[in-house]
Amino acid sequence: MTVPATQSHRDTMLRLSDVRKSYGKTVAVDGLSLQIAAGEVFGLLGPNGAGKSTTVALAVGLLEADRGTVEIAGAGGPADPAVRAKLGVAPQALALYEDLSGAENLRFFGTLQGMAGSALAERVRWALEFVGLTARARDRVSAYSGGMKRRLNLAVAVVHDPPLLLLDEPTVGVDPQSRNAIFGNIETLRRQGRTILYTTHYMEEAERLCNRVGIIDQGTLLALDTVERLIAAHGGRSALVLDENGTERRIETEDPAAEVAKLARRGSLPRFRLEQPDLEAVFLNLTGRHLRD
Amino acid sequence: MRDGQDLMREIVALVAKDLTLLLRDRGGFFFTFIFPLVFAVFFGTIFSRSGGESRKLPIAVVDEDSSADSRAVIAQLDTVAEFDTQGMSRGAAVEAVRLGRRVAYVAFPKGFGEARRRMFYGRGPEIELGFDPSRKAEAGMIQGLLARHLSAQVGQLLSNRSSLRSWIHETEVSVDSSATGGGRRGALRRFLGELDRFTGEVADSTPGAAGDGGGWQPVSFKNVDVARVRSGPRNAYQVSFPQGIVWGIFSCAFGFGLSLVHERTRGTLVRLRIAPISRGKILAAKATACLVAIVGIATLLLSFGALVFGVRATSPALLAIAVLSAAIAFVGLMMLFSVLGKTEATVSGLGRAAMLLMSMAGGGMVPLFLMPHWMQTVGSFTPVRWTILALEGAIWRDFTLSQMALPCGILLAIGVGTFAAGLKVFRWTEG
Repeated sequence: MTVPATQSHRDTMLRLSDVRKSYGKTVAVDGLSLQIAAGEVFGLLGPNGAGKSTTVALAVGLLEADRGTVEIAGAGGPADPAVRAKLGVAPQALALYEDLSGAENLRFFGTLQGMAGSALAERVRWALEFVGLTARARDRVSAYSGGMKRRLNLAVAVVHDPPLLLLDEPTVGVDPQSRNAIFGNIETLRRQGRTILYTTHYMEEAERLCNRVGIIDQGTLLALDTVERLIAAHGGRSALVLDENGTERRIETEDPAAEVAKLARRGSLPRFRLEQPDLEAVFLNLTGRHLRD
Repeated sequence: MRDGQDLMREIVALVAKDLTLLLRDRGGFFFTFIFPLVFAVFFGTIFSRSGGESRKLPIAVVDEDSSADSRAVIAQLDTVAEFDTQGMSRGAAVEAVRLGRRVAYVAFPKGFGEARRRMFYGRGPEIELGFDPSRKAEAGMIQGLLARHLSAQVGQLLSNRSSLRSWIHETEVSVDSSATGGGRRGALRRFLGELDRFTGEVADSTPGAAGDGGGWQPVSFKNVDVARVRSGPRNAYQVSFPQGIVWGIFSCAFGFGLSLVHERTRGTLVRLRIAPISRGKILAAKATACLVAIVGIATLLLSFGALVFGVRATSPALLAIAVLSAAIAFVGLMMLFSVLGKTEATVSGLGRAAMLLMSMAGGGMVPLFLMPHWMQTVGSFTPVRWTILALEGAIWRDFTLSQMALPCGILLAIGVGTFAAGLKVFRWTEG
């Protein structure tokens, strides 16, 4: 079925077309183009300094592109305050007032988004409950742990119920418990049909949360597809690692099951483990470097 | 589409947030509200107490003659309202002046009483005045007061028949026993004899005239009370409270400037800029919050000063204009402070240095009228000086609206100029 052009346009929540941004001679983002459909969780995966945060800054209007365009929900660029009202952003650096309580932070930012009265109070209550901070709502943020601050950072992004969320490395520096809580929040948002741009340098997060992933390095988008297709295209072959009397032997294969069956038929099947390609392998194959280099 | 009510609500939220943060920052609250109050009360009290004492000049008196004449002169000095006399030895007196405990010493050397008999011949009486060279003005004042009171004493002597005749007879004896030449001695004897005779005749022809002091007076002064139009500061708090208010205003503006740097470095400015509200409104709200806080601080301090220390404005309307003008000037400075550097440490250091220098030169620490002329000239380039002048103009200088126009106009120009400069740099740095 062919989707009409206008329908397709409307369903695209974020469109970046040939966007370039440089600081002097340093090119932060170079000719980046991508589209994120409504209801999609899109992961932008790359190491530190790859251009992920610059891409987010361009998408929300904090930076002006040297070239190219940014369009949000078919309504225009982020320079327009009415268009920015559709955005919810969790910046990588915690952006909270430490001397205000969690509830006060949410009320303040909710008011700036045009909310008021009982609607605001209800959304603040919901956001606190969503990130599990209801019991600490009246405490000042300065008394929160790092993980709680990260959760509140996410709550501020969703308090006004925006259709498009941009989460810039939302789990950086948090404890495993808070990390799992944030994963749970994002999965809930995905089920609710929110559109999310999620930047990370953790491949596990991208694999677990994202429908599609863009691999970015040195400001250039190297590949973009579903996790399975990226791995199939760039991950390389699976490997059977055999333990032969304490010596490891590695057999790369397109079909590990067939290879195991073949070894079994010969009656010489030793202890083995299967190594399957992942996004780390995709990045390694695309750039020659590891994600955390 | 947002309507005006939405925008107003957002600006009110921004202002309320900044004011809440100001009140919750203990250090900021102390320097904005408590320190200025303590400053105003402390210095007001000190100047109030020292005001009464400053009318008396502390001098040491050394009597090495111990004659009836020296004692009489010293007794008269003790009654002089301008002097706080204390008798001591020469060594102690020199030490007291050297250590700054006494402004000067007055010594009556041996032979002072005897020398008073030689008013018309030989070497007359001599008084030694020792003073700190750095206090020449006060020494001159002391010399003048001494001359005045000693002249008055001679006048009394010449005006009183019995004391004059007694002095004439003592002088005749002194002339006879002196080494003065025969011709001159004879002339002096004739002069003293004629004076004695004249004194007796005047006393006989005008009974009581010589005895009531009406005889000899080189010049007389007639004192006329003139009701003062300008009364000056009615108490020291009227001087110290404008200074305290300036400290409060400065701390407040500085705190807001620093808060804008905090917003930038801690990422909250990013959230504000992403929100569907223009950058102009964000800055307008910051400026409004700063303005409200400054006016609030000034109102609080002035209310306290009025209730407790009688610091009342002669014109509340002009005082309101002065406070508002000062607030606008310092809001502009706040904007400029916030873009002086990229980090809190830089802005904080530069801001404190500016605060110190401007307060020092502008009369925020020491009242302007106590400063040397060149420093008062330097102070003219600081908003502190014009803020104090505007506040004092409304509190005790009895400024008219046209007189208030100069300081307030300068403050408004400073505010608009610095805000525009700060805004330009802010827009440039924020992209």
